[in-house]
Amino acid sequence: MSVCPPYAPFFGFAGVASAMIFSTVGAAFGTAKAGIGIAGLGTFKPELIMKARSAMALATRHARILTIIFQSLIPVVMSGIIAVYGLVVSVLISGALKPGDYPLFAGFVHLGAGLACGFTGLTAGYAIGIVGDACVRAYVNESKVFVSMVLILIFAEVLGLYGLIVALIMNSQVAGLDGICT
Amino acid sequence: MAEQIAIAKANSEVAQRGTLVKLIIFSLSLGIAPLSAYYASLKYIWNGNATWAALTAVLTANFVLVAYIITSIYEDGNPGGASPQESKKER
Repeated sequence: MSVCPPYAPFFGFAGVASAMIFSTVGAAFGTAKAGIGIAGLGTFKPELIMKARSAMALATRHARILTIIFQSLIPVVMSGIIAVYGLVVSVLISGALKPGDYPLFAGFVHLGAGLACGFTGLTAGYAIGIVGDACVRAYVNESKVFVSMVLILIFAEVLGLYGLIVALIMNSQVAGLDGICT
Repeated sequence: MAEQIAIAKANSEVAQRGTLVKLIIFSLSLGIAPLSAYYASLKYIWNGNATWAALTAVLTANFVLVAYIITSIYEDGNPGGASPQESKKER
């Protein structure tokens, strides 16, 4: 049983791929679900021309609609950040992969790090999607929902951050392994 | 009356274009800033220590997010909670 078998990079690359794949699945679900809620804003019609008494009221309503659009895209931006977490871990792990002189221990560590980041990104994206959908629909009717929406989304995003931190801690274990193969 | 509506429509069009430009800038920076922060800090700041470079990239991504949230709160000069009260008073 050798310490550095030739099939060890298989596990390393599996870690790289799973970090990117699963966090992107979570981010895609979050974007899609929040996007459904945002598309429902298309039915929000304040009937600008009919009810506007003056140009000032018209401009205020236009500004209100722009603010709603800008603020309802926050769940989508947070889903993008979940994908960025997976991207950072993939880049980090793939920087340490070598064709030879790569111990099986390092392969397993990289696989674990990639899986940790990937699956927590999946859960975080799921939470962001469902919360974003419901809160964006509620935000159109009641503007005070905005603060609680941002708070809940931050807590959902921190789940992905925990997975990234564990992946970083695991990956730091392979830093001092040079020369173990001989 | 019709002139006022036309002016308001033109103003809103300009505002929409400004919003679109802001959104494009934020989307691009969310993609470009963390990766460039990773590689730049890996080479120039942390001397090859990849863990700190990854933390820098994560910090940059969260900074872009916070900038987006603050920009959305101060969109058009109105704080998020103040404008619905105004519109309710007008009706």
